Amino acid sequence: MTALAEPPKLDDAAPRKLPLAQKISERWPAWGSIFIGYFVLLIIYFPILWLMILSISSEPLTGFAGDWTLRWYDDMLYGTGQREGEAYAVNSRVFDPLFLSLKLAFITAALCMVASLLIGPILPRVRFRGPLLLGYLMPLMVPGIVASVSLFLFYRLGLHWKMGEWSLGLAHFVWAFPFALLAMLVVASRFDARLLEAAADLGASPWRRFWQIQVPILKPGIFAAGFFGFLLSFNELPFSIFMRAGDITLPIYLWIQSGAHNSSVPLIFALSTLITIASIILTFIAIKVAFGERTVRATDVKKT
Amino acid sequence: MALAEHAAGMKLRQFLPRLSVGIWSLSGFTFLWVIGIVVPLLGILLFSFLQTKGIKVQWDLTIKAYEKLFFYGGGPLIGRTIRIAATMTVIELLLAFPFALWLAKGAKNQNLKLITFTLLTVPFFLSPVARVIVWRSVMSVHGLVNTALLDIGLVSEPVEWLIFSEFAVHLGYLGQYFPAMVWPIFLSVALIDDEYLEASKDLGASRLRTLVHVIFPLALPGIVAGIIFTFVPMLGDTVVPQQMGGGNVMMISHNVYTMIGASNFVMAAALSAIILAIMLAFQVLLWAALRPVGGLNNVFASLRR
Repeated sequence: MTALAEPPKLDDAAPRKLPLAQKISERWPAWGSIFIGYFVLLIIYFPILWLMILSISSEPLTGFAGDWTLRWYDDMLYGTGQREGEAYAVNSRVFDPLFLSLKLAFITAALCMVASLLIGPILPRVRFRGPLLLGYLMPLMVPGIVASVSLFLFYRLGLHWKMGEWSLGLAHFVWAFPFALLAMLVVASRFDARLLEAAADLGASPWRRFWQIQVPILKPGIFAAGFFGFLLSFNELPFSIFMRAGDITLPIYLWIQSGAHNSSVPLIFALSTLITIASIILTFIAIKVAFGERTVRATDVKKT
Repeated sequence: MALAEHAAGMKLRQFLPRLSVGIWSLSGFTFLWVIGIVVPLLGILLFSFLQTKGIKVQWDLTIKAYEKLFFYGGGPLIGRTIRIAATMTVIELLLAFPFALWLAKGAKNQNLKLITFTLLTVPFFLSPVARVIVWRSVMSVHGLVNTALLDIGLVSEPVEWLIFSEFAVHLGYLGQYFPAMVWPIFLSVALIDDEYLEASKDLGASRLRTLVHVIFPLALPGIVAGIIFTFVPMLGDTVVPQQMGGGNVMMISHNVYTMIGASNFVMAAALSAIILAIMLAFQVLLWAALRPVGGLNNVFASLRR
């Protein structure tokens, strides 16, 4: 009945044009949720910022900033630091894991670019896309340690294959591919399939359609897949724990070093800071490349 | 020339259906993915019912692993892990839902939205260790927070439960998993047509009623997905319990690590299988929640926005 009584009221409520959502936003619950959201974001970013500040402080382990110094960076790079009788000649110990991590990250990035380019454009157009997507995203939903143990048991105990760099690469790919695929899908789902049909009608071979139409249009997605693959592999820890044969990647090195109850290695702060800054820059580039431009211009197609 | 090329193209297309290359690569890749990844993942369920000698597997089904697991105090361990993860999932949901709602329907400033999206995306790509390691020095007995509390005079002696405690693990989880809860809810709320909200209002529903009867059911898939992306990974998180719990808060991941180290593969498999079973149960829930809004395939529509 109230519904029937409403209509006359609607007429005099002329500024009703505002969407309801905006009206919600003008009231207090919105301010509460905004405050909560940004407060949690503060909790996310405070440790990251404080890490950077502490890495140039002289007493980072107390949590107090100040007395600025670059000695931890100096120690990390040249390993000359001497503190309480303990030698901090970490440089060689840092560089081996660093190079292994870089190698794995490049391989993972390449694999992610190829795989997401093969899968991304087709997936939104096949019949079982939902279940397939769920299957591809499975590593996102399973904790790293569970997936890692599963893969380890399958390949080591089931197939008797020795762990090594190949298994690290596989583990990193498994972890990074879902993100790469999602980035590609964001770009690919705006891809107009009619372009391919038009090219086919004009006589372009499948190979030519692929290289001259799909690849140029999907370029942002390919780059994003590569960046994400690189970053996720570079910072990956849980999968690497079991899928290795004594190899130490950079995250594993940091994990071991920081694992001690009262870790006496302020160098970890310096190293983590460098990695974090590099990761943030790369993430910004990836986000800008993949999501910066939402529409494909016709001129992009013509140029090829 | 062009005509000949055209004819060749036509000829080719007669033999190969359109998209065939794509379909081939898709099915080939899917095959490899299923054999190499999905089978091992699900295989752990089977593996937990086997026994091993060294790295040799004995193919007799038995529940010995589970018996041993519970005999050696696995019950409280699993209980604690599930309790902490569940508490934090509820807290994340309560914090993330209003925020995601505002982000999807309320926020009008495009720049602010873009910055917030970026802030919510960047943490996924940072090292989890680097993200929590600072808490240890900030929250320690002689750390920043304790010194501040002592200076203000709120406490007379240092608060010890700020780090290496369950409180610390909860705090670590809060930041680590917030974006994973916000994103799915945001996507599902953003998909809701504004006209539904309009209609609900025109029919005289209060805002609370609109929230409960319109927004909530339509956002349910996002909520369930958010729970999958937070609760399940929390159960197996390696970094937070180790860095924030510091050995005082034992959770599943640490035991899996120790068991593999001790070549006790089957018990590690049993622990992992329990987490996996929980994940699969939530998958069924997600599938059920998605059915009213057009099933899993509808996920792709959300990407287009």
